[in-house]
Amino acid sequence: MARRDYAQDRESIKTFLSEFCKTDDDGKKDFVYGSQLVKLAHREQVLITIDLDDLAEFNESLAEAVIENCRRYVSIFSDVIAELLPSYKQQEVHAKDALDVYIEHRLMMDARTRNPMEQRDERNTFPAELMKRFEVGFKPLSTEKALSIREVKAQQIGKLVTVRGIVTRCTEVKPMMVVATYTCDRCGAETYQPVNSLSFIPVQECPSDDCRVNKAGGRLYLQTRGSKFVKFQELKMQEHSDQVPVGHIPRSMTVLCRGEVTRMAQPGDHVLISGVFLPMVRTGFAQMIQGLLSETFLQAHRIICINKNDDITDKDCELTPAELEELAQDDFYERLATSLAPEIYGHLDVKKALLLLLVGGVDKRPDGMKIRGNINICLMGDPGVAKSQLLGYISRLAIRSQYTTGRGSSGVGLTAAVMKDPLTGEMTLEGGALVLADQGVCCIDEFDKMADTDRTAIHEVMEQQTISIAKAGIMTTLNARVSILAAANPAFGRYNPRRTVEQNIQLPAALLSRFDLLWLIQDKPDRDNDLRLAKHITYVHSHSRQPPSRVKSLDMHLMRRYINLCKRKNPTIPDELTDYIVGAYVELRREARNQKDMTFTSARNLLGILRLSTALARLRLSDRVEKDDVAEALRLLEMSKDSLNQIHEHQKGHVPNTSDRIFAIVRELAGSGKAVKIADIMDRCTTKGFKPDQVDKCIDDYEELNVWQVNMGRTKITFI
Amino acid sequence: MPCNMELPRTPEELIAQDIASWKELLSDSTKWHSIPLLNHTPLHKLKDQGLVRFRGMVQDMMDPEIYLERYEVKLGDGSARLQPGKYRDCLRLGKDEQLDYNAENNVHGERRTLFVVSVPGLNDWAKEHEKQCNPQFDQLPSVGSGVKRALDDQEDMEVDKADESNAISLAKKQCVSAERQTETNGCSSTVLGPDYLINSPLPSRPSMACMVKVYEDFDKYTLNSLMDFVGFLSVDPALDASTLDVEAMKDVESLAELQAQNPSPFLIPRLHAFAVKSLCHANPLLDESLQQPPAVEALHAPQSLETIHKDLRMLLKLCLFDDELAAEYLLCHLISTVYSRSEMQSIGKFTLNICNLPKECLQQYTTKLYEVLELLLPASHYLPMTLETMNTSAFTPKKDYETNKLVSGLLQLAPHTHLVLDETRMQQGKLEANGVHAVQHLANLINNQQLKCDFQYYQIDYNVDIPVLVLSEGRSMLPSDFVLPLKADEKSIQIWEESLKAALHYLQPGRLQQFRNYLTMSRIGQFSVSEEHTEMIQQEFVDMRKANVKSNADDLHCLLVLSRLLGIARGHVTLDKETWHLATEFESKRRQRLQALPKSSASMRN
Repeated sequence: MARRDYAQDRESIKTFLSEFCKTDDDGKKDFVYGSQLVKLAHREQVLITIDLDDLAEFNESLAEAVIENCRRYVSIFSDVIAELLPSYKQQEVHAKDALDVYIEHRLMMDARTRNPMEQRDERNTFPAELMKRFEVGFKPLSTEKALSIREVKAQQIGKLVTVRGIVTRCTEVKPMMVVATYTCDRCGAETYQPVNSLSFIPVQECPSDDCRVNKAGGRLYLQTRGSKFVKFQELKMQEHSDQVPVGHIPRSMTVLCRGEVTRMAQPGDHVLISGVFLPMVRTGFAQMIQGLLSETFLQAHRIICINKNDDITDKDCELTPAELEELAQDDFYERLATSLAPEIYGHLDVKKALLLLLVGGVDKRPDGMKIRGNINICLMGDPGVAKSQLLGYISRLAIRSQYTTGRGSSGVGLTAAVMKDPLTGEMTLEGGALVLADQGVCCIDEFDKMADTDRTAIHEVMEQQTISIAKAGIMTTLNARVSILAAANPAFGRYNPRRTVEQNIQLPAALLSRFDLLWLIQDKPDRDNDLRLAKHITYVHSHSRQPPSRVKSLDMHLMRRYINLCKRKNPTIPDELTDYIVGAYVELRREARNQKDMTFTSARNLLGILRLSTALARLRLSDRVEKDDVAEALRLLEMSKDSLNQIHEHQKGHVPNTSDRIFAIVRELAGSGKAVKIADIMDRCTTKGFKPDQVDKCIDDYEELNVWQVNMGRTKITFI
Repeated sequence: MPCNMELPRTPEELIAQDIASWKELLSDSTKWHSIPLLNHTPLHKLKDQGLVRFRGMVQDMMDPEIYLERYEVKLGDGSARLQPGKYRDCLRLGKDEQLDYNAENNVHGERRTLFVVSVPGLNDWAKEHEKQCNPQFDQLPSVGSGVKRALDDQEDMEVDKADESNAISLAKKQCVSAERQTETNGCSSTVLGPDYLINSPLPSRPSMACMVKVYEDFDKYTLNSLMDFVGFLSVDPALDASTLDVEAMKDVESLAELQAQNPSPFLIPRLHAFAVKSLCHANPLLDESLQQPPAVEALHAPQSLETIHKDLRMLLKLCLFDDELAAEYLLCHLISTVYSRSEMQSIGKFTLNICNLPKECLQQYTTKLYEVLELLLPASHYLPMTLETMNTSAFTPKKDYETNKLVSGLLQLAPHTHLVLDETRMQQGKLEANGVHAVQHLANLINNQQLKCDFQYYQIDYNVDIPVLVLSEGRSMLPSDFVLPLKADEKSIQIWEESLKAALHYLQPGRLQQFRNYLTMSRIGQFSVSEEHTEMIQQEFVDMRKANVKSNADDLHCLLVLSRLLGIARGHVTLDKETWHLATEFESKRRQRLQALPKSSASMRN
């Protein structure tokens, strides 16, 4: 690589700083850095951040050079800025602190006493660092990927890198000397010493001409007032758990922060830190034994807390086109669903519902009213039907999640507790599982065994998505925008189909109706299913891996990113679908009245349908809800009701086969008329949870029986 | 490559030649064997920078170090020379020599430090045997080619010519004085105790620790795996940070970390490894990396697998109140291993809960039974589940950010270390927060064979392979794959003490070796199921479901594991019909016994 011409770079940096502008919407030119320079000159701003995107736009090779050799360019930039600043001064600046006054005095004195011809010792002139009252930082390119600490290796030394991790320790902010100023006890001359490293050796002898010529041996004394200090903080950051390969220990890294980047993060914060990776020169013991070793650290330029700022997402969350293509296949809905907990066999509809829960519906706030978009699901079932595994999987898959049992062991429980800080004696709020899972999923196992206080709190969470606290003089409302995934065991060991849901789970109807979907997972012997299950298990045992024949399940990382992508969509329901949804809802209500239903159908179901259909549209990455989405939502609702009701029918000993049931629907549709459109039949049947091929089969079966006739185009059937 | 090549004596000799040639040399097992084991050789018999071996479990991994692989040294007269820094901790500088940090010729390299502890829970017989395998250079001075002799003859070492014993005593003095100093200063908290530094998973059975520096294949090393390292010992007293002047370092924020990362090399020696073997089991009898003493070879009288199997079953039956079924299950448990893992399942685990122990002999029976197991297994640990241990002991590793160390816990054990939980020791009382977590961790271990390490800000699961045996009076409070109520024979209860004594007596050295080898061989043996039998099993499962609604996928998993282990125990390599039927028969017998158990109010509810 050829050496870069730094003088030329200086010139181009100068032009960049003074001339770079962006044109805003009104066509006005916005001098991004020019305006900042004015602020710097007036001491209204301390940190100037150079966005490398801008620099790359201006001069791409320069931006690359900055990334490669960051530290040098920081000093070049700051020199250039120092040069430019006086021309940006528009008014007289008032001294802000003691150092300003000090500098002003020295400059004035200098101007008065100095003989222009005289060459002064370099050390007696004011070092540039003392005069600079600003800091320069770089913002990395937006295309830059965040690395894990593991990926930062020796070849990155000196480069600008972005690292993602969690802060584990941080020191107090301390002043660090940048320029040491000394006064001589004999001649009174001032000597300056710029400090670049973590430690320095104080100058002892006065280097001024007076002392040297006279051999006065003047001793220097450090003076704090004239020295310049910056804020300094040392952070320790560690890899996040998803960056650690299996069987390895998370790595950590030291981060040094200076000036304005201090106090940006606290232990426990998830951060993105951009900075220069540098070797450290240690002294004292460390140097003694580790002469061979050199420690490294990251000189921070920019720290972003990810947990505080959800808009800034990681670059590696973006899906590559290849991955999108893989996802965009026809059966992606089924594939995504089967990829949920692939070890758990079957239960496809439950998994589909869980997938929708992860994606979530769209929040709406018409006229201040808040309608939640989060989907709540309750899984019920006999012990040992993998409910807990499903919950565990979801809580691992969800980006933000809390897994807890109804009988939470801590005093905080599900909602929140007021704690007394042992040090300060202040009362502080400590969030429970529901608060911690805000904007995520809260998985509650053993929902039925929940404490009464939590149970009352959960009513509010599930509809209003907030938690109100009135404890120990603190009254507040916390956000708890969570999707609740609950698992409950039946009260009497096994699910008793002769009783209603409330009786079985021993939860009040008010709470149960807040769940959009209630699933009863049952494990009934069924030859085909059992055989497939047995095949699956024996395969796993004899080949030590999952059978290959099944649809290749997607890995968790990909799923997570896809779900994240889906969440950014906000689909709307077009007007023309309203009638369809209303019709379907009225139908539901009517049925609930007519049949002895074990579940409830209330207005909440209508909202549930809307939520599910928007979630489905999100899953397709679409901005509009389609009719198919609503149909699928209705089908899921129907299936969930079926799962609760079917044993009931089973117990009665009368199980109409699918064809019979479809026939009944067709009869109903036909009413007094004789002809029915097949499209209508399809619509109605799919909302009831039948598949198109089942409907087709029914139509064929009954045609053979000469019950009805199908026209040539297969659009209409006529009863005979 | 000439076979009579000598092993490298100093790091410089090693670097002088291609590393592959050294590795090839070490593939000759006699060469490997001739290197002294650090585990069983007192430090004062070894020389700084000498070649040693260390066997142990990776307990912690530290951050990478960037070191000077080659550096330029400025001599007093202005000339310069290059000095390699690989496999060394300290700079090698003579008088008036100075390191040139900015020299163009300096080469930086990366290395990792692994914190290795000797296998936790290694039983006494295995330790003893390992010791015997250690080359006995002191007693055998006649062996001319012994490495140690070569080391003794070694002419010069520029670094530290001082007599080692001198160095040690000096360091000890320093240690003592440092301690005294801190005591008087009243800030003893800054000096970390040796127990904390060594960090052995089982505090009651302390391990030995060693910091191994590795230079290649960084991703090969995983937590809790067993390794045999060969490399250069480094015990320079300058490496000790605990002798630092605490007063002067007061303002250093990371003093605790500095001290934890640089413990006294006499407490925790450093080893710069260049060759590694990973061990798939901890049984020293079958370890090819150990030189078997001739006495053992003689005991290896070949005997058919069936007889050994029968004898072992007899023995276990004797120990288990004449309960045939229990003996079968216990034997399966002893040879079980996790052989496959998928996202959420670990297949092959065989957690056994032997309950319904006769009340007459609860007091001593469990410990006596463990004595027998201890003799059979290379590594195991007996954990009485008293309220006190549950409430106070550390079970899982936890990261200490003050010292940047992964503080070990009881459950951080090497693969195939059997954990025997004695629930009969549990009393009524209050389980505190720590106890509740302990139970959760145990349950997690049993269900998933995973260990949750606490990194405070998050937890990470590590795969482990620790067979768990729970002994309890009633059904255990912990989950388990197989609950087996013991059916004790009236007569045998009365003579149980005699039977166990007889069992111990029966275990003659020769027989013991056979049993030990048999167990380890069975554990690592291969087994497969043929197509035709797979179909038979599938069919049977469907029928089973028809007959009993309650049976589910877990039952099939259990049956498959059981039949596999029964097959392996009998020396088969594939599943046959008889074994499968035996497994189903055993399972149904076990179920019957379970039904007969009195049901507690708690189990009624669930």
